[in-house]
Amino acid sequence: MRKEVWFGLSIMAAVVIGVFWLLPPAAQITNGHLGLLMLALIVIAIMLGFPTAFTLMGMGVIFAWLAYRSQNPQIAVQQTLDLMVQRAYSVMSNDVLISIPLFVFMGYLVERSNLIEKLFRSLHLALARVPGSLAVATLVTCAVFATATGIVGAVVTLMGLLALPAMLRAGYNIKVSAGVITAGGCLGILIPPSVMLIVYGATAGVSVVKLYAGAFFPGIMLALLYVVYVIVLAKLKPSLMPPLAESERKVAMPAFVKDIAATASNKVLPALIVALKGRRNADVPTSRIVRELMVTLLPAIVFVVLMGLIWHALTKPNIVTDTSNLQLTMEAPVEQASTSGLQEPPSAGTGLSEPPSETPAEPKAPEATTPAPATKAAPATAAPAVAAPVEWERIPAPTTFWIIFGTGLAALAIFYAIFTFTRLEIFKMLLASFFPLAVLILAVLGTIVFGLATPTEAAAVGSLGGFVLAAVYTLYALPSAQRARLLKIWIPLWILIAISIVWFLLLQFEVLESGPPMWIGWVTIVAAAIWCVLATFQLRLTGIVKESVFLTAKTSAMVCWLFVGSSIFSAAFALLGGQGVVERWVLSLDMTPVQFMILAQVIIFLLGWPLEWTEIIVIFMPIFIPLLPHFNIDPLFFGLLVALNLQTAFLSPPVAMAAFYLKGVSPPHVTLNQIFAGMMPFMGIQVIALALLYIWPAIGLWLPSILYK
Amino acid sequence: MQKLLLTVDKFSTLVGQAFAWLIVTLTLLISWEVFSRYVISRPHAWAFDVMIMMYGTLFMMAGAYTLSKNGHVRGDVLYGFFPPRLQAALDLILYIAFFVPGVVALVWAGYVYAGESWVINEHSNITADGPPIYPFKTVIPIAGAVLLLQGIVEIIRCVLCLREGEWPSREEDVEEVDVDKLKQMVHVKDEDIEKLDALVIRQEAGKSS
Repeated sequence: MRKEVWFGLSIMAAVVIGVFWLLPPAAQITNGHLGLLMLALIVIAIMLGFPTAFTLMGMGVIFAWLAYRSQNPQIAVQQTLDLMVQRAYSVMSNDVLISIPLFVFMGYLVERSNLIEKLFRSLHLALARVPGSLAVATLVTCAVFATATGIVGAVVTLMGLLALPAMLRAGYNIKVSAGVITAGGCLGILIPPSVMLIVYGATAGVSVVKLYAGAFFPGIMLALLYVVYVIVLAKLKPSLMPPLAESERKVAMPAFVKDIAATASNKVLPALIVALKGRRNADVPTSRIVRELMVTLLPAIVFVVLMGLIWHALTKPNIVTDTSNLQLTMEAPVEQASTSGLQEPPSAGTGLSEPPSETPAEPKAPEATTPAPATKAAPATAAPAVAAPVEWERIPAPTTFWIIFGTGLAALAIFYAIFTFTRLEIFKMLLASFFPLAVLILAVLGTIVFGLATPTEAAAVGSLGGFVLAAVYTLYALPSAQRARLLKIWIPLWILIAISIVWFLLLQFEVLESGPPMWIGWVTIVAAAIWCVLATFQLRLTGIVKESVFLTAKTSAMVCWLFVGSSIFSAAFALLGGQGVVERWVLSLDMTPVQFMILAQVIIFLLGWPLEWTEIIVIFMPIFIPLLPHFNIDPLFFGLLVALNLQTAFLSPPVAMAAFYLKGVSPPHVTLNQIFAGMMPFMGIQVIALALLYIWPAIGLWLPSILYK
Repeated sequence: MQKLLLTVDKFSTLVGQAFAWLIVTLTLLISWEVFSRYVISRPHAWAFDVMIMMYGTLFMMAGAYTLSKNGHVRGDVLYGFFPPRLQAALDLILYIAFFVPGVVALVWAGYVYAGESWVINEHSNITADGPPIYPFKTVIPIAGAVLLLQGIVEIIRCVLCLREGEWPSREEDVEEVDVDKLKQMVHVKDEDIEKLDALVIRQEAGKSS
């Protein structure tokens, strides 16, 4: 046998001997000591490599029986069985864990939707001018893709196949390349929506919504720190990451662009407009120009529509904000309560406080003359009574709105000033790869964080979104004739589906007064169902769906059975009073909160070496969490630190999963040691991030604190 | 013997995969419920109970399937370095010490628990007039029984491995990280990686000189 084995076995033996040495003689053994023995045994049993879920379950049953027997031997068996089945059932009916299979399913669908290649290529071109561009593109690709899938192994493997060759060919240093891929691939377990935070939330009894809101900025911060590190390194030592060769940066241009650019200008917007006006000496079809123009104008259109809707919602007249009616009746406060839910409260407040003279004259847009009916939520009887004497005029929008509007306008102007045809091509590529995924993530995350939907609902809709992505990307891989044929059937269905969605969005922005009628809803549902079935069979997506379904079942069974085991185990631990012993011991050390925090993080860091994050959270968090109140530590904050800390578990040799996945697909002469050496700086950055979060907890706690007061 | 083991594997897999499809119905059900609650304002009281039941059934019934594919998480630090015979010996001991008591207790307790639920014709109390809950509770003993059956197969595998010195083979299944499939997906061939190796060697050479 190898040396490592003997080393491991001797550690285990030392633990066993140590435990027995510490234990008092048999006569004095209390239940609390049994609890500690149980903890030592579980560490050993896990190290022996038996499936952890069943180790926990079996040990929990045995020790629970011992605990009950010491109280009342007659009913001990019955009590143990009751405890066990109740614990199992509580995991089965847990309304937090239900989102795990859904998020996992979404991850597998996105993983198999085959967009990573496009994503990497387009980001690579988009970032070509940044120092260390390929490494930065790899990090961004990893961050986005890993966030959507949450599967470390798959992301690292895919990036090892795509980004590693690209970086090596560009002359990048092997260590840097390997470090970027492994570190980036692990970001998905921290940046929400991640499964790890659900598992922590379910174990610690912390709201998953708050955890998601809290982990958002630390996750972004970590990713940014990686990017900054890479850019600085590339600036300081260009030999490690040489700038890209001209051929690598070149964007393939459609032929007509040259003609237009030659006659008009290289700027897209003026050039296309001029070309459209008739000075087209080239044989470019008008439809093509119009299409390019539409793509070009897309950012402006999105901006205008969004700002218009927000402006409409903000300035929509309602009774409450009209000062002349404020002291009118008793109904006013009632209405305030009912209407404030519909619009953003802070902006409504600022709108009131602004003197009218400061607001520009622009809000008196043509729409202002059309009388808008009373706010939907206002009670029907009260609204006309109070509203009758008031001429409908728009409330002046708050200054913040105009500042944002102005900044956006300026940004758009700059954007179009530098928008060349090369950039248009890159923009189109991003539109086809980066934006769909970003929109999916932000939609899922946004609805959860802003409390519009529960994590479960968002995850389910996200899975559906993953399916749509898979379908669309498969569609665009088809030859164009076949694609056109399919689109002919799909587009009407999409329009039917869109009716309700658009209606609903307009309702949310208070443009419309009531939701779509029932029959339109049903039309949408039927259309969506038909599309799903059609897409599955026309594109032969059954394979993708089937694999994702089976993998989802296996992964969820793995995580949730671990939960069954651990909830039985921790019940037994509590019954034996092990928790009390640990608590007394920790309190007797008389630590300050800072010391305790550092100790806890060091222990978790060390546990991350032999164990997987699921095991660490599920087994050890129940021991740490009850200690937190003694030190006045917020379990939410602790959770964020743990999540950040467990990132290192994936990167710490010699068991770093990420390194082995990368090794599996890298050229034979890339050694594991090189990969490990490449990961080290990123581990250092993780520790720095951990320190930053600890020094400024607001990085994580600011968002939850303003969202959920 | 091997044939019998594989048959049981197939049975567990079949059961697990059949119930795995619940994730699709779960996704569709929740999406539909989201739509009818938010867009057309017609929520269904029973939806929550049904979601929970689907999720619980899904993962419980997939337990044996996951075991048959060796998919339950295990501490890999040392285990991976052990020779097969030691692996089998440790597994055998721990199966008997932990798995069998745990799962037998689960089946028995679940059987009693579900039986009581059937007798009182229990309905969910999360919402008024909730759906019946006894079929859901029945999942516990059934899932436990399938798991126990699969566990016995695993125990036999351990014995076989102790005798032969190597693990009996298993059926293939979808893998989370299937390198060949991923290579195909991003159009990378083995030759490309081979070609890349030359670059690596050159870089190494450049460094040492």
